[in-house]
Amino acid sequence: MTTNNGSPMGSPSPLGAPSLRLPKTRTGDPTSIASSISTLPYRASNASASTLFASTTTPSASRSVSPNETATPRMQSSVFGGVGTPGDNQLAPAENAENTRNLILKAFVPHIAVHCSEDTHELVKDKGFDGGLWELLRPFGECIKGKVTVRNSMGGDRAWDDFAVRFVQLGDGLEAPDTRRSGGDRGQSVAGKIVSDALAAKRIRTGGELSHIETLVDRHLSHAEEYPSMNSEDYLNFKESKAQNIEIPSPFYILFLRRILSGLPLAPHETFAHPVTCIIAISSRNPAPIEALRSLYNDTNQGGNNLPVWVNNEFLRYYVLVHDEERDDISKSIALFDQMKRHFGVNCHLLRLRSSHCISSDDDSARLPRSEWIAASEELAEIQAREVQEDFEESQPCIYESDTTAIKTFIREMVAGSVIPAMERNILVWNDQVASRRRGISGKFLNLSRKWTGFSSSSRASSSTGSASGSKSSYNSVHGFYLPAADEAVMRKLADYAFMLRDWKLAHSTYDLLRSDFNSDKAWKYYAAANEMAAISVLMNSSSINAKVRYETVDQMLETASYSYLTRCTTPYGALRALALGMELLRLRGGSAIDDAARWGAKILESKVVGPVGEALIKERISGCHASKKGSGSGNWGSRNRKSALWSVLAADAWLTLGKTQQAKLRLDYAAAKYNDFAWKNGLEQWNMANFFLQGLQREVVMALYPESGIEGTLLPDDIETENVEESKAFESRPHRKSWLGGQAPVLTGLDNAPLLGMEESEERGEVDIQFE
Amino acid sequence: MSYYFAIIGTQDNPLFEYEFGTSKQGGDGVARFPEQARHMNQFIVHGSLDIVEEVQWANGSMYLKCIDRFYNNFVSCWMTGGNVKFLLLHAPSQPAATTTTRTSIANPTSPQTEEAIKQFFTEVYENWIKAIMSPFYHVNMEARSPIFRQRVVAAGKKYL
Repeated sequence: MTTNNGSPMGSPSPLGAPSLRLPKTRTGDPTSIASSISTLPYRASNASASTLFASTTTPSASRSVSPNETATPRMQSSVFGGVGTPGDNQLAPAENAENTRNLILKAFVPHIAVHCSEDTHELVKDKGFDGGLWELLRPFGECIKGKVTVRNSMGGDRAWDDFAVRFVQLGDGLEAPDTRRSGGDRGQSVAGKIVSDALAAKRIRTGGELSHIETLVDRHLSHAEEYPSMNSEDYLNFKESKAQNIEIPSPFYILFLRRILSGLPLAPHETFAHPVTCIIAISSRNPAPIEALRSLYNDTNQGGNNLPVWVNNEFLRYYVLVHDEERDDISKSIALFDQMKRHFGVNCHLLRLRSSHCISSDDDSARLPRSEWIAASEELAEIQAREVQEDFEESQPCIYESDTTAIKTFIREMVAGSVIPAMERNILVWNDQVASRRRGISGKFLNLSRKWTGFSSSSRASSSTGSASGSKSSYNSVHGFYLPAADEAVMRKLADYAFMLRDWKLAHSTYDLLRSDFNSDKAWKYYAAANEMAAISVLMNSSSINAKVRYETVDQMLETASYSYLTRCTTPYGALRALALGMELLRLRGGSAIDDAARWGAKILESKVVGPVGEALIKERISGCHASKKGSGSGNWGSRNRKSALWSVLAADAWLTLGKTQQAKLRLDYAAAKYNDFAWKNGLEQWNMANFFLQGLQREVVMALYPESGIEGTLLPDDIETENVEESKAFESRPHRKSWLGGQAPVLTGLDNAPLLGMEESEERGEVDIQFE
Repeated sequence: MSYYFAIIGTQDNPLFEYEFGTSKQGGDGVARFPEQARHMNQFIVHGSLDIVEEVQWANGSMYLKCIDRFYNNFVSCWMTGGNVKFLLLHAPSQPAATTTTRTSIANPTSPQTEEAIKQFFTEVYENWIKAIMSPFYHVNMEARSPIFRQRVVAAGKKYL
């Protein structure tokens, strides 16, 4: 009965394989949601496309586990928060597999821009990579082999073996021009020019577009609906099915989170996407290498056509000579490289690549690993392209083993030898020259005096039209950014560098300083981002925080961040990111922090920043949050089993509305198991309306999964009980499957399944064995 | 404001349920829960039992105040000596209330509201004691007494 779709990358799932019945979706037309979200047409997945869905179809246990998981201490605030043996404090090993903290660690990594000459571009194109050198490097930057040692601001060394960097093309990541703001900055005016193909390709690599993320997850879900990997037969005896661990997030939620965090847009208010280093690459084919290097360097320096003015230009340049193993003379390249070394010191590398196009039948060919951190729109485009393409072999780019080794060595040498030392040096200098002035008592006075003396002038300046802001504040309130030389911009960069090098303490204290600055400058986007990162950095730090401090710091910051993002800047993406990360990190802290996590999850739903798919995922996640709170004593006091079950039911409801029956079934199974797990069996049984609703959902799932078994379905013991309940209780109104949240109703109300409604009505009349097909 | 009042026995079983609306500020005493979501009241109250089980140990008094929140719905709790819980779910009347004006309508955690709910609970508790003193009543039985229902209705009208 099962298809072997769960297998990773290797074997494409057989097309004709699904011997089990295709799940009938609620709408009967699986495209409606997808097409309502976007204009992307839905096609039946072909074999080559199905490998693209591997991220959500592979069993989660097979994914990489990072060993350096820090134990998260528990808080001692609620009565039951601190109780419990130390043993059960630790995260279950299974939970580490999909640890969201690791995900966050790997999301905020240094970006390395790649800028290469025309001849290098051609060389890489010969190898079959149209995008250029960055495309070839990108998958290898996501996991750097071996340990990378980072020195923090206190002088202690710490080795990380899951360090990562992200390769982007120079100038990637610019957001679409913001029409709301009059007179955009220079970067936006560049972006506003005629949208050439290259620019469109760049745009597609920019993440942060919520509708794309939703569409992508929806595609993955549709694929999973089509090829369900679990044995769907065990639905009928779901009471005996083993309790799934809901604390492990579903692969779709992980995908959702990952896509939120991938392709961070290049924006003035945070510098994660700003290049830390720029690779300047020429190839051995170049007739005039030195001139080429000079002009490429000038390109990165002028900034005119590549980076907006608010990007700090003083990043490290790393020079790479790409040597063509097959066409060019190595001795000439070595001579040139020696010359480069004399000029640039350690910041250069000779990368030896073969220039011929590698195909999978070649001797030492290997598949280019898929990049995990591509933006949602890029992945969507890829899926779309793959679905129309018939030839499977062609679609997977290959690369020679020797090239792989060369690239890995190159990246490791560059990151460990140049990038990280340069970042450490920058942190040291900035911390010394800019940030430390502001710390301590004298810094507070300085800030205070600055604020008071600058008060009148800056307020006048911001109210007057068009003029630059007051002399005291370096915030350009018209265009909404700080120049990179301003203290605030430097400190933000310092904090981001510290965050990327995982020096949480320094990062947090710097973000904290920045918050008040941005607030007094009314730089709301900056303010929101600083609050967000301050909260996240304090949560990333493994030291424990008690509930009071948590309330004063984390809660306030997240609240401010989401308020500023939403109300002042209308940036739902930022709000969602802040709240989702806050929720995940709080959940990992355990104890009473889990309540906060669930609260922030509910806040995401309340503020309506997510679409229907995201909403279902978040509901599911809130259920997971509640489930991870452990109770104590014989009565399991302090656990949140009922809440967890409740949110599961809500998630199932949302999934059903979207027509994702498999997901709904999982959630319902879980809820049913929970409700049966209480000290007294069937804790929900006497709550007639709630119970009726739950049974209605279950019946709906059975109907959708096994349309022909509908009649037997009504003879399940559960349903007989329902009849009894129904007979004894007179309902004025029958709970209806419509969404009960005011806001999102219009889209979804039309989706109710006609046969199902008919069924409910028929039962109300007491005609159980009516025919429906 | 719409209210949903439930008395819950020791086995998570509902003993008494009553929906009503506010009678203050010109209210007509009719509950205005959205029709499709009435089952949610039961779900929410059932879910709040988790919180009740936690806070009951931290608090010496019977009135546990507002213990839980689900979207716009707030849940207050009164714990009787016999481990029977009174739960009152209160929700602002118009479900489509915009988020910005929500706080200005009636703050569910304000001292006035809490005091009113406390008076309501106290009166219901007195009547509850009387109702369960009936020799025909045994533990965890549904309270069907019409007199008791009348008194709850009266208390709701008087205080909420």
